[in-house]
Amino acid sequence: MLYIIDSDKIMAECIAKATGEEVKIFANAIEAMNEISYGELPEIIFMEIMLDGPDGFSFLNELISYDDTAKIPVVIVSSLPFVKKNLDVYGVVGVLNKETMTPEEIRRYVDECTKRNQD
Amino acid sequence: MVAAHELKEPLVALRQLAFMLDGTDITDKDVQKKMVGVSDRAIKQINDLMKIQKLQDGIFEMEPVSVRAVCDDVARELMYMFRFNRRDLFVKYSNRSPLVTANRELLHSVIYNFLLNAMHYSGEDARSELIVKDFRDNVRVMVRDYGPALPMDVWREMKRGWIEKPASIAMRPGSSGLGLFIASKFSKYMHANVGAVRHRDGTSFYVELPKSHQMRWF
Repeated sequence: MLYIIDSDKIMAECIAKATGEEVKIFANAIEAMNEISYGELPEIIFMEIMLDGPDGFSFLNELISYDDTAKIPVVIVSSLPFVKKNLDVYGVVGVLNKETMTPEEIRRYVDECTKRNQD
Repeated sequence: MVAAHELKEPLVALRQLAFMLDGTDITDKDVQKKMVGVSDRAIKQINDLMKIQKLQDGIFEMEPVSVRAVCDDVARELMYMFRFNRRDLFVKYSNRSPLVTANRELLHSVIYNFLLNAMHYSGEDARSELIVKDFRDNVRVMVRDYGPALPMDVWREMKRGWIEKPASIAMRPGSSGLGLFIASKFSKYMHANVGAVRHRDGTSFYVELPKSHQMRWF
């Protein structure tokens, strides 16, 4: 299962379509964290940093504080110019800029994740 | 800079929606509606920014305006967007004074921005309320949403009466505060008060317009 966390519903649906997989969409970090706490762990998370309520960094801090959730790969999808190396400590495997990203780039992260899980 | 960022958002969404059309039926009504909705919002914001420039020329005349007619117009215009986004819009009039002193076009923009803001920050199936009522010598047009609470600094700025410049609202990331800034500018031009009320489960934004006493002459 793939998780998408973005308060912008249209953008979340666009990312969901690009993955071509079954996804769960969350409008804020609290909803996503609750699902992770009580449901199954996602294979990969695509998330925006600027969210309604607690921001993405609060979510990432929560995520890396548990041994099982710390291993979940996270791809940041944002219009803000984040640099991946600055986010490595949060378990971020990639950064996509909303202004320039293509469905192929999103799909590539999904494929890489699937391949890693098969290995 | 902040305004530019907000205007960039619809373009980014349109770009991704265009990708969605790839490989699907070109007559996909859902994607088409989304593209139209996103474009409408961007056009409206650009028009409002252009109006701000025109405020200095003083070309917007103040006149007696039926506040109910303006609210009806805005509600009708936005109803499809509310329905499309699975939000409810509830309109309630309890004002006894039918006319206010305002500029129809600017008042339309103020209410439009408040409602758009409410729609954006309300959850699915949540409702937004457009309430018009008398308030001392004014008529208060209030838009209540059930979204995240307004941050204290923005609330303080609104309490002072106007917003100096659009500023990023951390708890409401989809917005740069551009809509509030526009509403604040237009209200100041119309000598109207703008303000916000923080609720535990949302925010109300309001504009108070002076009653027009023209009807009393007849």
